[in-house]
Amino acid sequence: MSTSSSRSTPAVTGSSARPVFVRILKLGAIIAIAIAVIGGVVGLLVDGERGLLSALVGTAMAILFTGLTAASILVANRFSGTEFFTAIFFAVVMGAWIVKFAIFLVLVFLLRDAEWINPTVMFICIIAGVLGSLVVDVVVVATSRMGYVSDVTLPGE
Amino acid sequence: MDATTVLAEINGNIATVGYGLAAIGPAIGVGIVVGKTIEGVARQPELAGRLQVLMYIGIAFTEALAFIGIATYFIFV
Repeated sequence: MSTSSSRSTPAVTGSSARPVFVRILKLGAIIAIAIAVIGGVVGLLVDGERGLLSALVGTAMAILFTGLTAASILVANRFSGTEFFTAIFFAVVMGAWIVKFAIFLVLVFLLRDAEWINPTVMFICIIAGVLGSLVVDVVVVATSRMGYVSDVTLPGE
Repeated sequence: MDATTVLAEINGNIATVGYGLAAIGPAIGVGIVVGKTIEGVARQPELAGRLQVLMYIGIAFTEALAFIGIATYFIFV
């Protein structure tokens, strides 16, 4: 067996994952609209305008914050092929993750006692949004086609 | 003098402890997911794309736990 010392190290890229994340974001947006419509109608029936507003804000928060992970991976992949790609990738993705949770915590603290918010409707919509985005993630990943090598274009792409 | 002596007093909302607890699980989960992905990419750089997607699914499920934990603030008094 020959040693791999003379073989050049392949560049670390994540570009082959791009279509998967784009599809996750697109389907996530569709699910968000569906949850916002259903939640909005239920909220309107339960607590009038206050319920409608809570449902819309709750769904928007859930989808925005869950979608941010996929978006941050897409942004980080722009540095694909560069020398410090791995470091930049995890810095961007984990950095976005921490900032996202800090903002979410602040929003939760601020909105809880707001007069125009129905906490129960908002809570249910956040849970529905988070679970909806999880379903989208699993479905997209389970049905996606990905090459075993990152820099290969699959037939039909 | 009182029959009982207060040695330590805790003020504030006990729910704060809950937020801390809600953060521990996802923190450990994401740490393992990301650490193992780095390990995998270091071993096989050409698999980075596939590993990214699998890492994303892992992060999505662990962060869902954190979101639900933090959002309980809306319903718990």
